[in-house]
Amino acid sequence: MRWSKPRFALAFAALWCSMAYTGATPEKQLTVYSAQASYSLPVPERSGKAYIAANELLTPLGATITHGKGKEWKITVNKAEARLAEGKDKAVIRRQDKALIRSQQVDLGGAVLVEDGRMLVPLDSALTLLGQLLNTAVDFHQPSRRIFIGQSFTRFNAEYKNGDRPSLILTFTQPLRRLDTNHAEERGALFTHTNKTTLIFRKDPVVSDVNKQEFGAGAIQSMVFAEENGSASITVTGNTKLQMIRSEDGKTITLQPEAPPLAAAQEPDAQNTPTAAEGPRRTSEFFVMIDASHGGSDKGASFGGRQVEKDITLRLARELRKELEERGISARLVRDADIDIGLERRAEIANEQRAGIYVALHAGRPGKGVRVYAPMLADPSQAAAGRFLPWESAQSGALSRSRTVAQTVAEELRKKGMAVSILGMPVRPLNNIVPPAIAVELAPEGGDIQSLESPKRQNTVAAAIASGIAQIRGQMGGRP
Amino acid sequence: MIPRHFQITMALVLLAILVSGVVIIRITHKEEAMTQQAAEAAPVAPAVGGKQESIRVLVAYDDDQALRWRPVEVFLPADRGLRAKETLRSVLAQYQQSPSPHPLAKGADIKDVYFLNSETMIVDTTAPFADGHPSGILLEEMTLTSLIETLTANVPGITKIKFLVDGKERETLAGHADLMSFYQTAAVHELAKEFE
Repeated sequence: MRWSKPRFALAFAALWCSMAYTGATPEKQLTVYSAQASYSLPVPERSGKAYIAANELLTPLGATITHGKGKEWKITVNKAEARLAEGKDKAVIRRQDKALIRSQQVDLGGAVLVEDGRMLVPLDSALTLLGQLLNTAVDFHQPSRRIFIGQSFTRFNAEYKNGDRPSLILTFTQPLRRLDTNHAEERGALFTHTNKTTLIFRKDPVVSDVNKQEFGAGAIQSMVFAEENGSASITVTGNTKLQMIRSEDGKTITLQPEAPPLAAAQEPDAQNTPTAAEGPRRTSEFFVMIDASHGGSDKGASFGGRQVEKDITLRLARELRKELEERGISARLVRDADIDIGLERRAEIANEQRAGIYVALHAGRPGKGVRVYAPMLADPSQAAAGRFLPWESAQSGALSRSRTVAQTVAEELRKKGMAVSILGMPVRPLNNIVPPAIAVELAPEGGDIQSLESPKRQNTVAAAIASGIAQIRGQMGGRP
Repeated sequence: MIPRHFQITMALVLLAILVSGVVIIRITHKEEAMTQQAAEAAPVAPAVGGKQESIRVLVAYDDDQALRWRPVEVFLPADRGLRAKETLRSVLAQYQQSPSPHPLAKGADIKDVYFLNSETMIVDTTAPFADGHPSGILLEEMTLTSLIETLTANVPGITKIKFLVDGKERETLAGHADLMSFYQTAAVHELAKEFE
């Protein structure tokens, strides 16, 4: 008599669920990621509460499940065991820790149900059960029903590459399973529409600290990361259909427009005959590559409070682009968002896109005014061998022109009444850049940290740099 | 019968003794902790022998954005490698003073130096040297220039130097100054002139 109510409730709940459930609603899923296996399980609802089959949850992780006395079940993993009983909302977990045996009663948050040999426990108790039995770090992303055992995360870095054929490069910390259009439920999937591409990761423990990144108004405009129903997804929105290229090692996915723009296939412009060091120009357009230094997890210098170099350089970069465009000079940003880009990749971007001039923007102590840096080879003895340049001295062919750019920009800054110093230094990545390159470091004015973020001061600096570049673009391969 | 005023006086005296004892114990513990902390932050390598010499070290002054030579007395061993290491440490010692002309993190030190050949040297620094270095082009370049110039002034014959951090290559010192390249000492000598 005592058990009749739960049984009745169970039967009613099962009937109600089977009636309410239709194929139109996607089945609720839980996905477990661990070093041994990644697997998904259905999440049935009983009396409005989400349940999970404990035996299906734990068996792939090496657990053995046996029947105990009466309605009791025993789950054993390594030196830990859990005892659960049908209809009970408590479990007893015993763990042998060296010579000690610890016993603990845990609340499951709802009664254990048994159906067709499946031991259903409330989903909310999954974290407790796994954590206690496995004795390792377990991370439960509850809203999306994703469980990560033992720090088994795959993180990724999104790098937006502007240019003739923009691309978004997603670099993952671990190789991904192959995405497939036909087996979405099994592994993962790629869905492409006119202006939206979605990558779904079901068996890969992909996570991200950043949910949204904006890249401007071009072919690739934004990227959104989301977690839902036991899977993760990356949705890239733009104004054209994108194609996906997966690297051999499975760690990189590149998304770019399906048909390359005509400009990318153009022959080198006769008027811009490339030097041996610079190689052929991809386009005849002269443009300035502006590099807002640092970004993402690399904050650069900190100035107290929330002021960090990466934010100051990005604002200054956008201001400089505006000033250059007002003078009829094209400009591109290496990054136009708060994203991680390595120093070598920054140099690759400037070199691949055949920038006319590369300007790296920095902010730092000590002193005042603005410091303009021209490259200085740490080891000038590394020379070019034919068309090939040593990476560490790729700048060697443009050193004198870089100094010219630095001097002209410094002169324009002085005209604006700013304290300026010009220095030649081995600042990374200037020496890896093939075209003329400079770095500009904004220092706090009179020790006033707030001056670094002053829109007026940033505008003055940006206008001076743009004026300097406008003066000498004729010497740098651009139209005077 | 002990008079009441005497009882109160005794009680106050006992209380004063108790409070003083607690204060003394706390001060002692604090000093021990500070001594231990200072010992942990001290240079990793023990002081070496050798004879005391007067050498010149190039010191960075942040406030003036300048490098200036300063004479210092240090014990320098005869061995070339140890001499190079102690010379570099004598520069870092300048930055560990309080007040410092160019503050570096506690524990910033030279772990070891290796000669690849008679002219090329690898300098292995401790992790705090880079991890705790203030970020900024000028600050980072001043550190490297002062180390390289001081080394070449006191240990002749070195033409190329490369820096490691805790035995490993690192791209930059603190986000800016190049640590991947071998520094040619002649080029750094020219750079140092810009700071004079």
